[in-house]
Amino acid sequence: MIAMVDCNSFYASCEQVFRPDLWGKPVVVLSNNDGCVIAANKEAKEMAHIPMFEPMFKIKDQLIKNKVTFFSSNYTLYGEMSQRVMNILETFSPDVEVYSIDEAFIDVSGIKHVSLKAYGTVIKDKIVTYTGIPVGVGIAPTKVLAKLANKISKKVAKFDHVCVIDTDEKRIKALKWAQTKDVWGLGKKHQTRLKNIGVFTAYEFTQLPLSWVRKEMTVVGERLWRELRGESCIEFRTMPKTKKAIGTAKSFGKKLEDLERIEEACAYYISEVAEVLRAQKSCATYIQVFVTTSHFSDNDKQHSDSCIVTLPVPTNNTFVLTQQARKALQRIYKPGYRYKKVGVNVTGLMPQEYVQGNLFENLKLHDKRLMNVIDQLNHKFGKATVGSALVGTRVEEWELVKKDRSKRYTTQWRELLELKNK
Amino acid sequence: MEYLKTGKIKREEPHHEAAISKQTGFPSPATHYLEPSIDLNKELTQHKDATFYVRVSGNAWSQFSMRHKDVLIIDRALIPKVGNLVLVVQEGSFKVIRIPVTSSGGSFVVWGIITYIIHCTS
Repeated sequence: MIAMVDCNSFYASCEQVFRPDLWGKPVVVLSNNDGCVIAANKEAKEMAHIPMFEPMFKIKDQLIKNKVTFFSSNYTLYGEMSQRVMNILETFSPDVEVYSIDEAFIDVSGIKHVSLKAYGTVIKDKIVTYTGIPVGVGIAPTKVLAKLANKISKKVAKFDHVCVIDTDEKRIKALKWAQTKDVWGLGKKHQTRLKNIGVFTAYEFTQLPLSWVRKEMTVVGERLWRELRGESCIEFRTMPKTKKAIGTAKSFGKKLEDLERIEEACAYYISEVAEVLRAQKSCATYIQVFVTTSHFSDNDKQHSDSCIVTLPVPTNNTFVLTQQARKALQRIYKPGYRYKKVGVNVTGLMPQEYVQGNLFENLKLHDKRLMNVIDQLNHKFGKATVGSALVGTRVEEWELVKKDRSKRYTTQWRELLELKNK
Repeated sequence: MEYLKTGKIKREEPHHEAAISKQTGFPSPATHYLEPSIDLNKELTQHKDATFYVRVSGNAWSQFSMRHKDVLIIDRALIPKVGNLVLVVQEGSFKVIRIPVTSSGGSFVVWGIITYIIHCTS
């Protein structure tokens, strides 16, 4: 049996733990750069009908009118709180698959001495007691069913955030309750296709002949079909997958025209990406750089372009990557535009020990040690303490605006929660 | 091209390091008595994942020996017992109480048990 544990509106919950004045009140969290709403709690969803991923400037008045509190995203806090939740889950099962910042699958097959409903309740209670984060728990024989059970646990009040599907009867009841959109991994396109042939619920989907599913929805659909019928086919993964591509692209705090400033931002992102590459011991074969202007702005001329460079030798060296990215950037940058964003992606990742040299390039063995030292320094003294000079020192001139970011209560001694007694 | 030069392959210097004392003269009499230094994280916190630190602002809680800028260690995993100092939430704001509650001040929600007060003397 697999339990899916999912934190309720995680980002908003993290903020509310430290803000009891906001308990039971609508809270939303904005994306990096305060661009759009990326998370809203139940109260916010109910009262304000906030469309997710809507640009902030379009709905700001609506939020203020409805007395919704909004926060800039505080990923430092969310990451730390997530770690606490995952640590607690490890006390319940040796096999925890951290699926995302706020969800995990845990293998509870070995639990025989108590009912799964009771076990799920213990998990839920422990997490909220320890961290203040409310969670929902769904337990079922397969991942897709566990995910569905989780959804039901939150939507159907009588389950009180713990739902177990352990008999065929309960499974069929759950499938009949679920619309196709409630099935994990069933995309919009497939939902529409199913609707067109008169399939609305998950149950109806599982009654389709397998041959049809396989033909129309490929192996992905087949897997869902089997999982919903109680046949486990999505494996349990306790080790994190090595990434196939790593990228970052964040909007600037203000629009930039100047190539120099954009180069600095680009170099900064490269150093972030290269760090991730080294952490997973991979090297990149290709590097893609792109720039774009804001398509929300009607007054500005629009330009966006991207460029992919093949590296002479796959690498994870910050300096080589920075150099190559800079060349690429110079090729796509056109003066006279107000840029909103620069982004980098590295792809063609391979384990660093498989990298083949090139007849015309030196394999710089010392570089690895230099990178090690840089990583150690940055780990010890804080992000971006040392790095490429191209990054410059004017980060605050282009970095994201985090106007309404809460304190980093759990990681910074100077930003502890303050108790004011009135 | 210095790395590609052919010739004698330089052997890596062997480096054996003793795990204990680096003294070269008289052996340390403490050798068999070494223990790790005191770690406050271990001593003052029982439940790492349930522990939070908060800072007191103002002197309104001096009856609990809490002064301005003191840092409280809070353990959310503990169950409140008689005699405990507890951080609670009442009507949307934080309050400190001692259990049992003497005054009938209405209902509250326990946020966590205050296990230590860190007070800076200077």
